[in-house]
Amino acid sequence: MLAYLIRRVLWMIPTFLIILIINFGILRLQRPPLSYEMSGGQSQEEAGSRDAEKGQANLKNHLGRLKRTGNNLPSLINLRGFVDKDDMIEILEDLQSKTGVKESERYEQELELMISGHMSVEPLVEILKDESLKSLHGPASQAFMMCAYTPLNYEDRFEYSSEELGEIQLRNKSLADMAINYTNEIDKAFKVDDENYESKRENILNYYQRHQSIYVQSERRWGAIFGDTGFMVFMGKLFTGKLWSETKKRYVFEVIAERWQVTLWLNIFSIMIAWGIAIPLGIRSARQKGTLEDKTTTNILFFLWSLPSFFIGSLLLHHLCTDSSTGAALFPHRGLSSDDSLWYGTLRYLLDIAYHGLLPLIVLTYASFTVLSRYMRSNLLEQLNADYVRTARAKGANEDKIVYGHSLRNSMITMVTLGAGLISELFAGFIIVETIFTIPGLGLLLLDAVLQEDAPLVMGSAVISVTLLMVGFLIADVLYAVVDPRIRSQYG
Amino acid sequence: MADTQMSPMQLVWRRFIAKRSAKIGMWSALVIFLTGTYAPFIASEIALIWWDENGLQFPAFASLFNRLEYVHRHDLLFNLIALLLPIMVLAGVFLRKKFKLGNMVLSCIGILTAIWIVCQLPLIPGQDRMRALWDNRPLAQEDIGNYTKNPDKVFAIFPIVTHGFEQTYQGANLKAPFTMNEKTSQRFWMGTDVRGRDVLVRMLYGARISLTVGLVATGISLIIGTIFGALSGYFGGWVDLLMQRMVEVMMSFPTFPLVMVVVAMTGRNVFIMMAVIGLTGWAGTARLVRGEFLAQMNRDYVLAGRSMGLPGWRIMFRHVLPNVSAPLLIAATFGIAGSVGAESGLAFIGLGDANAPSWGDLMNQGRQNIKYAWLIYIPGIAIFTIITALNLMGESLREAMDVKS
Repeated sequence: MLAYLIRRVLWMIPTFLIILIINFGILRLQRPPLSYEMSGGQSQEEAGSRDAEKGQANLKNHLGRLKRTGNNLPSLINLRGFVDKDDMIEILEDLQSKTGVKESERYEQELELMISGHMSVEPLVEILKDESLKSLHGPASQAFMMCAYTPLNYEDRFEYSSEELGEIQLRNKSLADMAINYTNEIDKAFKVDDENYESKRENILNYYQRHQSIYVQSERRWGAIFGDTGFMVFMGKLFTGKLWSETKKRYVFEVIAERWQVTLWLNIFSIMIAWGIAIPLGIRSARQKGTLEDKTTTNILFFLWSLPSFFIGSLLLHHLCTDSSTGAALFPHRGLSSDDSLWYGTLRYLLDIAYHGLLPLIVLTYASFTVLSRYMRSNLLEQLNADYVRTARAKGANEDKIVYGHSLRNSMITMVTLGAGLISELFAGFIIVETIFTIPGLGLLLLDAVLQEDAPLVMGSAVISVTLLMVGFLIADVLYAVVDPRIRSQYG
Repeated sequence: MADTQMSPMQLVWRRFIAKRSAKIGMWSALVIFLTGTYAPFIASEIALIWWDENGLQFPAFASLFNRLEYVHRHDLLFNLIALLLPIMVLAGVFLRKKFKLGNMVLSCIGILTAIWIVCQLPLIPGQDRMRALWDNRPLAQEDIGNYTKNPDKVFAIFPIVTHGFEQTYQGANLKAPFTMNEKTSQRFWMGTDVRGRDVLVRMLYGARISLTVGLVATGISLIIGTIFGALSGYFGGWVDLLMQRMVEVMMSFPTFPLVMVVVAMTGRNVFIMMAVIGLTGWAGTARLVRGEFLAQMNRDYVLAGRSMGLPGWRIMFRHVLPNVSAPLLIAATFGIAGSVGAESGLAFIGLGDANAPSWGDLMNQGRQNIKYAWLIYIPGIAIFTIITALNLMGESLREAMDVKS
């Protein structure tokens, strides 16, 4: 039994990892919103210093946004540390030749260069040091300004210590000061040979001399191949609990901690009620096969099975939860407790929750309950036609004994397998039910996150949901071992 | 004695069609399919027949393949079906003796592809005759005054409902069923939605989306699942083990949230929705096919094929697959019902294609404006009908084929 459990738990790890990777891959599909303004203002005629500053600010915002979602790093393998001087020359020459061709195309390439961040600083400095590459010094110095910059955002207040934060801010400020001196030429920088580049170069090289230690990548590049990737950053944030939700301005797990219990309890009650009704109903129906009662039950269950739960939910909301001309609503239309429920006594509080939760529970339950009882009936019928039942009948066993002692135990094996499969079906159910009745649970959170494209929140709630799902599967496995003696004997 | 001369498929068909539930299911599904397919002829602002001094025109037919007229890609597919269905039925009735079924299906697919390619061509400029087919000039009721000098001589036949599916009527938001529309002096038989569009017309066109998503998504998942299950069952060993683990992962994957996330991240598009529903739903099919394949692998005909030196894919897909098609057919029927439900559910929580007229989207409007009952009842009953019809067909098919669930 223990060996069986350990085996099942070990199987969960790769499943969990694969699910995480798939989820991560999907979130990578999201493209960052592109904006023209960031390369120094849309209208080039009046590209004054104000526009250039605005462009710089937009750029910083954009880089910060990329950093927040981990989109500034490659997904799984990071080879940016291996960009050397020659590659960088190629990139810059490409960029230089592209100027004036097409704003958006150039922008894409600039972005490519900039999101590599600190990784590109070393080859850029090598180019700046090389006297024979004067034509590239203009773009290189501008690229340096962008790559050496450390975009900060709100969540960084929690990630860095205050000294580190101060240092980064100082560094950024000196970079910005340098950049503002050049803003007038920021558009020209890629296009023409700049005459003042000598002084700029001096400034940049001085700056690099002072802060060299944080930009040196040559020792880190091997560790960065797998370590400094979007996936690892995400995993690190996930396991240290530092996923930051942009829309909620809080840590993702803090938001989820308030929400997950609601969903969990709703689902536990729903599963319990569904099994509690479905099994007796299925047994009763199967034992009375062919009678009018059986036929009616089967037909009703069939139609209930075909009724989509969002239809039933909307109907209940319309008829029972909305004030009409004839009178006030019977049930509350939103939430799982009254607004002032904190001041209620225990009993009243529980009654209040039951009152609020009744309709959501009905909608959540009936879909799985119809499937379960239909399967229970057909399964039990199959078992009742088996040979061992005929033997039991022939030796004169009691009918109750046959059904409950022999057949039911056999059909429970199939039922538990089916129940495990139904757990993942519950997800569709509770997302829809929480949407209809505005219950602040995981499903509504996930929907909000998806609609607002808050990637960390999506990932966080997906991970928690999948974890709950895995626990559900584990419980199903335990039950499976309980009802199936073959497994117990196999694993001793 | 008659039974012995029939092929197994004919036998199943006879047993299937003898059931009342199967008949009800088939007819309801057929009615929904036909109303969806012929929606432009039932409800459209474009005239069916237009006869003025310039001659006789059929604007509704012309606009079927006018690329400026149809909005969504799946509409083109249904327009093609609308045109080809009578031809195919007639050919099926008259040429049944001469041609084999397979040839006929192949030629129909060929015609469809050819028309599809022609439809992708740019608008043809030049001669007036040529342009008439492609002309972007829907002849609607309002045009009678503008288009011709003497409106009295125009003879035009319009569809029963002359409301377009994307046409919004000012000030007609959320009107109850049977309200009169002053502009066209016609009733909104099923009321209007939030933006003042006719619900009846949107329901008709919504059938197209539901059916397309159901069929395509199920097709994708069936193809992937069959290949997966066949390979797994045929080769066995570590291939089987590896593939079973993958199936297990897919089985434990919560499909609905996954589809939600993908649709939200990549854009609200019906085709992406279909692809994702199909790509996530194949695990059940794979498991089913694998089980059937394992049962078939010990049969003599497989051994015979192997000893003759047939390649593996030929044994798998030419010989074993037809023997396991019965459970696949049943799974397909239930799969379509499931995909239709999934699409409606997604549209219901607001993740559907924002422009496409979909049943779930109408229900979403009903949920947000909860007082307007017809926005819940009408699409809800339609979704219920199509799912019930498909489930009835699946159940009857299961009983007719005598397959254990």
